[in-house]
Amino acid sequence: MEEFNIDIKNNNDITILYLDGFLDAHTSGELEKSFEKLIEEKKYKIVVNFDKLSYISSAGLGVFMAYIETMRNNNGDVKLSNMSDKIYNIFDMLGFPILFEIYKEEQTALEKFNQ
Amino acid sequence: MTNANKIVISSSTKNLAKVRNFVENKAVELGFDSNEINQIILSVDEACTNIIKYTHNFNESENIEVITESKNKEFRIIMKYRGRDFDPNKMEEPNMKEYFNNFKVGGLGIPMMKKFMNKVEYHHVNPDMNSLTLIKSLQNSR
Repeated sequence: MEEFNIDIKNNNDITILYLDGFLDAHTSGELEKSFEKLIEEKKYKIVVNFDKLSYISSAGLGVFMAYIETMRNNNGDVKLSNMSDKIYNIFDMLGFPILFEIYKEEQTALEKFNQ
Repeated sequence: MTNANKIVISSSTKNLAKVRNFVENKAVELGFDSNEINQIILSVDEACTNIIKYTHNFNESENIEVITESKNKEFRIIMKYRGRDFDPNKMEEPNMKEYFNNFKVGGLGIPMMKKFMNKVEYHHVNPDMNSLTLIKSLQNSR
């Protein structure tokens, strides 16, 4: 069975979400819940690490679109990192780099929040 | 109920992984490369997700029949399902600049399907039956 898991770590005022597995219309609700909880906790600076994500469909892309405006309106952002070429190609083909900052390394994404 | 070229799932997103695995195995057998395989399974996932959400309204008593065929250097994935008439080819392409400027959500499944597959064919077969076919060409002689 293909699964999806999220690990959450904090780095000062930045929250890092580690995605693992398959993000589709069945599992994207889990990611939505995580974003809702972060907003409740007033955590708006988010890095999403895709290193262990094997698959993403448009349902997964939709979650990032749904929350980026709220994060930016509260002096935060959703920065993305560590995508495989396969995952990056999906984001790129649809033009997501126009709106989202996408970095090869998590560390670079973290540093950008402090610049 | 499955055989070599067909799988029938109940209309639920929990079955998307099953469909992806079924189609992936066929695409591997036909010799598509990993990038093409990802495009194919993503397109089938998007098609089934739309049927489950918008045609069947998550009603798990409905079914989707997924059939694979290969002929004349084409891989065809056919989805047969009951429900209202909706031709994805009649949907307008979104303006992505406007999409991002307005932080829009959703509506990318059909554009992805059209971008990643060579052809999308839709037929409303009888008053309550639909057939959606996604076609990917085998580029090289394999």
